[in-house]
Amino acid sequence: MLELVPKPQFTVVVPPKLIQEGYLVNFTNAWPSTMTHVRGKTFRVEAVNQVPYPRGYIIPTGDYRDVDLSNGQGTFQESFYPTRSQSLFEVALGLRPGNYLVQFYIPATRSIHNLEYAGMTPDVTSATKVYLGARKPEDSPPEDTRIKMYLVMDLEPLILRVFVLPGVDYEKCVLDFTINKCDLREIQPTDAERLKAKVIRYYDELKFG
Amino acid sequence: MPSLTVTANTVAQPIAAQRLDRVHRPTSLVMDNDAGAGDRVIRIQDIFTPAVSNGVPVPVLTTVDRFRQTVPIGDMINLDEDDLKGIKCLGSLNVISDVIDADCHITVGYETE
Repeated sequence: MLELVPKPQFTVVVPPKLIQEGYLVNFTNAWPSTMTHVRGKTFRVEAVNQVPYPRGYIIPTGDYRDVDLSNGQGTFQESFYPTRSQSLFEVALGLRPGNYLVQFYIPATRSIHNLEYAGMTPDVTSATKVYLGARKPEDSPPEDTRIKMYLVMDLEPLILRVFVLPGVDYEKCVLDFTINKCDLREIQPTDAERLKAKVIRYYDELKFG
Repeated sequence: MPSLTVTANTVAQPIAAQRLDRVHRPTSLVMDNDAGAGDRVIRIQDIFTPAVSNGVPVPVLTTVDRFRQTVPIGDMINLDEDDLKGIKCLGSLNVISDVIDADCHITVGYETE
């Protein structure tokens, strides 16, 4: 009849999905010496601005399109990269449902998701290796994006290879991008701040082994 | 859910224009040939220009038939969401007939998702 709900002993706080104002970010020393504007540095995020930008591509079955996030006027270039050295663009990628896969390359032709044994490289011309390292729409739905990319000025081109699996004639592949523009200010961090900072690794650190 | 009524025509009649970030799904289709002058073949057409891809460097305007139904003279066919399940237009949603007939009316309801 009557229930007194006990006071909760703790509450669960879900952290924001994107970098927020006031956050700290730390770029590792693995970033190349040509990128001294970020290499080994720690920044405080002074301001953020989220820019949604959905992109749709109708692609024939069994075919693929490269989506190049770097800047330029090329057919496949989307010009997402920052042009200021004090900017970090955190790009969240949501994949709308469809019969397709996405593979990641940086720079062009160099996959992020190789295995260590020779030949174990994603390959859209192979019936089996097309699935190696590929992400499916259900891996990162737009309402719960799980794929994030971190772009800074002068980073090599990051390429998304969108491959339509065998099926009926064509598929529409809709990539829901949210570009979280972060304005950075360099700081000299204390040890506590360095521990708290979000670590942003260079892509080579994902290609170990 | 929006809908539009058009008359039977041999030129594709646009129902919903292409959305780059969405697809159109027909959810109802009423083909009223009660006063028509003969049997009519009605099709749903998907019209779009694909993206540049590895295999198709110069894409062209493409038309794909997504549905076909013969509507006998003096008859009316009413299809609902279950009947139309699985039909998806990647580009613009259109209807077309085999003969021009001002007395044959087609009403299409659709959702954009």
